[in-house]
Amino acid sequence: MGSILIVAEIQNGGIREASYEVATFANRLAEATGRSVKSLIAGRDIGALAEEFAKRGGGEVFAADHELLENYSSDAFHIALEAAVEAAEAEIVLFSNTPSGWDMAPRLAAALDAGFISDCFSIDVEDGVIVYHRRIFNGKLDARLTITGERAVITVQPGATAAFDGTTDGSVRKLDLKLSADDLRTRFVEIKAAESKGVDLSKADIIVSGGRGVGTPEKFPEVIQPLAEALGGAMGASRPVVDAGWLPHAYQVGSSGQVVQPKLYIACGISGAIQHLVGMKTSNFIIAINKDPDAPIFEVADLGVVADLFEVVPALTSAVQKAKS
Amino acid sequence: MKIIVCLKQVPHQDVRLDILSDGSWIQEENIKFEINSYDTYALEEALRIKDAGDAEVVVVSVGPDRVTQALRTALGMGADRAIHVKDAETDGSDVLGLAKILAAVVKSESPDFVFMGLMSDDGNFAAIPPMVAQLADLAHTTAAVKMERSNGTVTVDREIEGGAHEVVELRSPCLVAIQTGINQVRYASLKGIMAAKKKPFDVKSVADLGLSGQVGEAASQVKIHKVAPPPKGDRAEILKGSTQEIVERLVGKIKELGLL
Repeated sequence: MGSILIVAEIQNGGIREASYEVATFANRLAEATGRSVKSLIAGRDIGALAEEFAKRGGGEVFAADHELLENYSSDAFHIALEAAVEAAEAEIVLFSNTPSGWDMAPRLAAALDAGFISDCFSIDVEDGVIVYHRRIFNGKLDARLTITGERAVITVQPGATAAFDGTTDGSVRKLDLKLSADDLRTRFVEIKAAESKGVDLSKADIIVSGGRGVGTPEKFPEVIQPLAEALGGAMGASRPVVDAGWLPHAYQVGSSGQVVQPKLYIACGISGAIQHLVGMKTSNFIIAINKDPDAPIFEVADLGVVADLFEVVPALTSAVQKAKS
Repeated sequence: MKIIVCLKQVPHQDVRLDILSDGSWIQEENIKFEINSYDTYALEEALRIKDAGDAEVVVVSVGPDRVTQALRTALGMGADRAIHVKDAETDGSDVLGLAKILAAVVKSESPDFVFMGLMSDDGNFAAIPPMVAQLADLAHTTAAVKMERSNGTVTVDREIEGGAHEVVELRSPCLVAIQTGINQVRYASLKGIMAAKKKPFDVKSVADLGLSGQVGEAASQVKIHKVAPPPKGDRAEILKGSTQEIVERLVGKIKELGLL
């Protein structure tokens, strides 16, 4: 039987936490299906990291060590992936759904003519069949999927499971690649750090955020900002608000904006797409106000109000002002 | 220069999602559809290049009759030509099947650039752009939030975590998957909509693309086992009552948290 291949990632000189989460999925799946666990680590001067990963869930690790793999770029990494899949005789290839993971996994699936499922939060074996669970419609519905082909390429949601904390009998094998810069159509240039534009939500005890349900840009200063001010907190926003140009990116809460953990987070008119939830779900207490009773935001909220935010939020603002005076 | 923009028509973001009784997907009869939000940004990016110089923008979509509307809208916004792959044989395709269809169209057109949205608002797979790039032998990148072209290359800022950007240079021809917010999307003008009626609109079958038997439900390796609402287990306590009663409970809670 073929193997389960983990594609591990390097970040800031170490192996990404999310790669150890993938190792948890891989080792669980290996036990349930009788497959072995193997891994790929691609980078530059990665010998020690490969040794470490081999002992912490990675199994037999293929180390692709090359100067052209120092930073992620799709063409170079694709060559490493194809070589590793062949060397490992991989049947299931597991990635974390990170910016590099989502960039390279579908391309590999197409090259292998494999079944592809992204952003799974759990993988179970039911009656001998592997069932992949994920969300669809921006978190509004759950889907359970299966793959009928011989090969599967899967990405798993970062944070969906705990990092692997056991030890494994691992070994490291060098993966020799013939890479030449002339053959690569994609080239890494640089990482640009996030620009901060004076809105630091990480220090606020209370954040009042508005989403698409706020409807128009002028409603932010009229409805959302007054509640934030009455509570002595800060105003935030979800991605669609920033995409539409209603508020600058500095206000965005979520995986591509600021990740916050205030004492109180009030979400107004935010449905709760995964990328927003990732940025605020560890807040100490969450109140959600939304018209749609099925909105995913209510899954992470402690208290929910199913109502028109334009009725509840101004009334709450007045009540807070009254309580303070 | 030729730019292909792949569009998907998806259920409108505000429609109620009813699951089919067999749990295979949602009920799509008589609901409102729209162009996938991510794809509107991809189209806008192509139209801006056209506005700045000399480019032909070709929009492509796969799906039943209703998809005509999405393509007409795109032509109304300024695209030059539409290709609609309309064939019952595409029904039930998994992401790889759809990518094969789009890649066949791309190969037949030999464009300089292919733009599409990073993911769709319905399936959320984010799979098709890198798949099409592989099948059409193009360089690719995803989550583009900024793009600059120079001779034979394009430099893309791709969004990574926490608002940071990874800058990557691609040799053209190439495929770029666009992130939302890269631009402000225009609306179709009345004049544009009138002009769209005269623009070329090709309809192609799976056989036209040489893909008979390779796409659709039978060729699909990914099967949807069941669609269901998310488990209701540990959801929020929903406050009931009049606005005044609800507000009193909220203020009480904020006081209890020591924040008021």
